[in-house]
Amino acid sequence: MKRFALPLTAALLAATSLTALPAAAQTVLSLDEVPVGELDPGKASDYADSLLMFNVYDTLVLPAQGEPGYSPHLAESWEIDGNDFVVTLRQDVTFQSGNAMTAEDVVFSYDRIKALGQGLSFLFANVTGIEAVDDHTVRFSLDEPYSPFIASLVRLPIVDKQLVMDNLAEGDDEMGDWGEAFLSDNGAGTGAYVVVSHNPQEETVMEKNPDYFLGVPDAAPDTVRLRYGLEAATVRTLIAQNEHDISSQWLPPEVLRSLAGTGAQLLQETGGGAFYVKLNTTKAPLDDVNCRRALVSAFDYEAALQMVAITDEAAQGSPSTGAIPVGMFGANPADQILTRDMDAAREYLEACEYDPADFTLELSWIAEVPIEERFALLMQSNFSELGFNAQIQRVPWAMFTDLVTNPETTPHVSQIFVNAVTGDPDTLLYPMYHSSVAGTWQSPEYLDDAEVDELLERGRTAMTDEERDEAYSALNARLMDLAATIYGYDRQSIFAASNRVNVPALSSPEYAFGVDGMGFSFRLMEMTAE
Amino acid sequence: MSPVLRLLAKRLVTSMIVLIGVSMLIFSIARVIPGDPARIALGPNATAEQVENLRERLHLNEPLPVQYGHFVADLARGDLGISLYTNRPVTRDIAQFLPATLELIFVAGLMMIVIGLPLGALSARYRHTWADNTIRMVSLLGVSAPAFVWAVILMLLFAYFLPIFPIAGRIANMHVVPSITGFLLVDTLVAGNLRAFGSAVSHIVLPAFALALSGIGQAARLTRSNMVETYDRPYIEMAQAYGFPERRIARRYAFRPSMIPSMTIIGLDFAAMLGNAFLVEAVFAWPGLSRYGVAAILRKDLNAIVGTVLCISALFLIVNIIVDLITAYINPRIRHSQRA
Repeated sequence: MKRFALPLTAALLAATSLTALPAAAQTVLSLDEVPVGELDPGKASDYADSLLMFNVYDTLVLPAQGEPGYSPHLAESWEIDGNDFVVTLRQDVTFQSGNAMTAEDVVFSYDRIKALGQGLSFLFANVTGIEAVDDHTVRFSLDEPYSPFIASLVRLPIVDKQLVMDNLAEGDDEMGDWGEAFLSDNGAGTGAYVVVSHNPQEETVMEKNPDYFLGVPDAAPDTVRLRYGLEAATVRTLIAQNEHDISSQWLPPEVLRSLAGTGAQLLQETGGGAFYVKLNTTKAPLDDVNCRRALVSAFDYEAALQMVAITDEAAQGSPSTGAIPVGMFGANPADQILTRDMDAAREYLEACEYDPADFTLELSWIAEVPIEERFALLMQSNFSELGFNAQIQRVPWAMFTDLVTNPETTPHVSQIFVNAVTGDPDTLLYPMYHSSVAGTWQSPEYLDDAEVDELLERGRTAMTDEERDEAYSALNARLMDLAATIYGYDRQSIFAASNRVNVPALSSPEYAFGVDGMGFSFRLMEMTAE
Repeated sequence: MSPVLRLLAKRLVTSMIVLIGVSMLIFSIARVIPGDPARIALGPNATAEQVENLRERLHLNEPLPVQYGHFVADLARGDLGISLYTNRPVTRDIAQFLPATLELIFVAGLMMIVIGLPLGALSARYRHTWADNTIRMVSLLGVSAPAFVWAVILMLLFAYFLPIFPIAGRIANMHVVPSITGFLLVDTLVAGNLRAFGSAVSHIVLPAFALALSGIGQAARLTRSNMVETYDRPYIEMAQAYGFPERRIARRYAFRPSMIPSMTIIGLDFAAMLGNAFLVEAVFAWPGLSRYGVAAILRKDLNAIVGTVLCISALFLIVNIIVDLITAYINPRIRHSQRA
C-alpha cells in the first residue's frame, strides 16, 4: 500500500494544482435550467427553450420594457388591414450565417412552426395564410379580428430559410424533416448569441454574435454556459464558490434564502402567471358552486404566501387579487387581496346541497413540484375545518396529463402553475376557461359557462385597450363568482445570482419585460468582473 | 476446449437468453407506465390530432407483440429509435453519455479494489487492535449511508469548506479535448494535455469516491471476515510453525483465498453502480447514462428507457462474465469443475 500511497497523493495534488490556473480573459456567464434545452425554435415551449430562443433567434416584435405593449424588433412597423396584419421588416438584418433576412424567411418560419405543430404553434391557430408581399413586407391573414396577434409574434422566431434548406434531412413530406435534425443541434437565427456547442441534457455554450444588427455591448458576457439539471446543493456550492452566476427559478425557497444570506443577489421576474388550485366542477360535491365557494373562502392565502417567502422583500409569489394577475388587462387593484374568511366559508357550506362528511376530496399534487405537497397539506388542514375529509395524492406529471383528459378521473383538486406565454391575458385565460378546451392540464375544472366563453371571445376580438380591459374585468368577476379555481398567488420567479452580473431586466421594474424568459436576454446583461 | 473457454461459452449463451428476456420485459413495462408518451413528448399544448399522429408513428396503437416486432426489426439495424426527450437518436445519446458513466464507475471500482481490499487485509492482520476497530467503524459508515449522502457530505467538506476539488462536470471549461474514446482520462492523455488530464482527475475524485464508499466498506468487511476465518485454518498454523514471515503468510496464504468472495461482491457492486450512479451523477452534474435513464423514465421516453436498460443489462452481464473468469482464474476448483 505504501508503494501506491505516495504516487497517488502526488497525482492528486498535481491534479488539483494543475486545475488552479488563471481563467481565460473572457467574461463567462454561467447559469442553469432544468433539462432539456430544446434548441429547435419551432418546438420551444419550456423555460430553458425560451432562454435559447430569445438569444439565438429574434422575433418580429418584443414586449416593451417596463410598460405594457410591444415594440418593433426585426419588424420596422406593422399596420392592421381589416383582419390582416401587414408587417414591414428591417432591411439591415443578417443571419448568423451571413444570409440577409427577408420576408421569405418569415414565411418559412411560420410555415415550419405550423407544420411541426409543436411548442407554441397553437398561438397561430387564427392565421389562415401568410404572404411575402415583397422582400421586406409580410401579410398575415386572420380568419377573424384577433387583438393578441401582435403579442403572439413574440413567439415566432425567424429562421434562416436558406441554411435550413441546405440541411434538410429525409422526412414525411416534400420539405423532408423541415430541418428538425439540423435545428436540434445548430442555431440558424439572427440572435445576439451564436451556439458553439449544444447537448440538450448537459450544456449549451453560446458566444457573442459580432455581427448582431443591434450590436452587443462590451459589458455583455462574451461566453454563456447554460447548464441543465444541476442539483440544488450543487448550485448552492457553485454560487458560493463564485463558479456560477445565475440559478434557475426552481431552487427550493430555503436554498434561495440561504444564498441570499451569504450575499447573493435575488433577481425577480414577473411573467403574468399565477399558482392555481383547480376544482373539478363536474364531480360531487364540487359540482355545487356553494361548496366550491366554501373551499375558496377557507383557503389560507397568507399561509400559502409564507411558504414561498424567501426574505422579507422577496417571495416566489405576491398576493392574488382575483382570476387575473395584477398588471394585466382586467386585473383587480393590487390592494384588493384575497384573504381567508371562515365565516363566509361556513355560510356557503350551509347553502351547499351536499354534506361534506359524505365525501373524501382528492387533493393531488404534481410529484415533480415538491412545494405542492406543502400546499396539499395546507388545504387538507383548511378544508378539514369545514368537515371535508381529504386524501392527498402524489401524481407524476405524465400521469396527471392523462388523468385530466377525463372528468371522472380528474381529481377534485389539482394544483398547477400557469404563465401567459406571450404576456397577453388571452394566452393565459382562453386555454384555461373556454368550454372548447376543457380537459387539458390547464383546464381540469371542466368549466362550461356561456358567459365566460362570450367574455373570452370578446377579450380577444376587441381592438382597443379600453374594450379589452372592460371585457377582462367582467370575466374576472364572473370567474370569481363561479369559484372554479382558488387563485393562490400571483407568481414571481426568483433567481439567486452572484454579484458578478447585473441584470437590469430582472432587477428593476422599469426594464422588466412582461414575458417569461425574456429577462434573460444576455445582450442586456452586464458582467462586472472577470 | 479449455475449461475457461467452456465457461465463457456457457456464460455467453445464458447472457443472450437473459438479454432477450430483459428486452421483452422492459419493452412491456415501459408501455404500461401511466401516461401517454406521445402527449408527453409533444407537450401540453399539442392538439389531439398531433398526439394521434405521433402515436401512429410510434406504432402505439398496435398490439404489444406487433410493437415488439417493430422494435426487434429496428434493433437489428442498430436503430433504437429517437428519444422523445432529447429529440435525438437514442444510440447517439447512449454513445455520448455511456463513456462518462463507465469512466466514473471504473474509477470507483478501482477505488473499491485499491482501498477496500487492503483495508480488509490490514484489519484482519491486526484484528482486535485499535487499527482493526477504526477500519471496521469506517467500513460500517461507508456501507450504512447511501452514495448520494456521501456525495453531499464530500461536496461540503472538500468543495465548500475546503475548496480543493471541483464539483460539477467532467473537466474545467477552459479545456477543449478532442473526443476519441469518450473517456476524458484517456483522451486528455492521448492529446498529451497534462493540464486537462489533471482537471479531469480532480473532477472525478469526489463523485467516484462517493460512489465507491459503500463498496469499499463492503469489500473491507468481507475481506476481513474471510481472512480472519482463513487465519484459523490449520495450514496457516503450519506456516506459522515453520516460521514463515507474517507478511508472506498474510499475502500468500490468507489474502488470496479470501479474495474470491470479495471479488464476486466487487464485481456485482461494479455492475450495480451502472444503475445506482444516478444520484451521484445528479449531485455532481456528471453527464452520464444513469441520469439520462432516470430522466427518460420520468418522461416516459419509451425508446430511451428500453435502450438504456438494455445497455445497462448488457454491461451488467459482461461484468459478471469477467468476474466469473477472474474467479475461475483465482480459484482452481472452479476452473477444474468445467472439465466435467
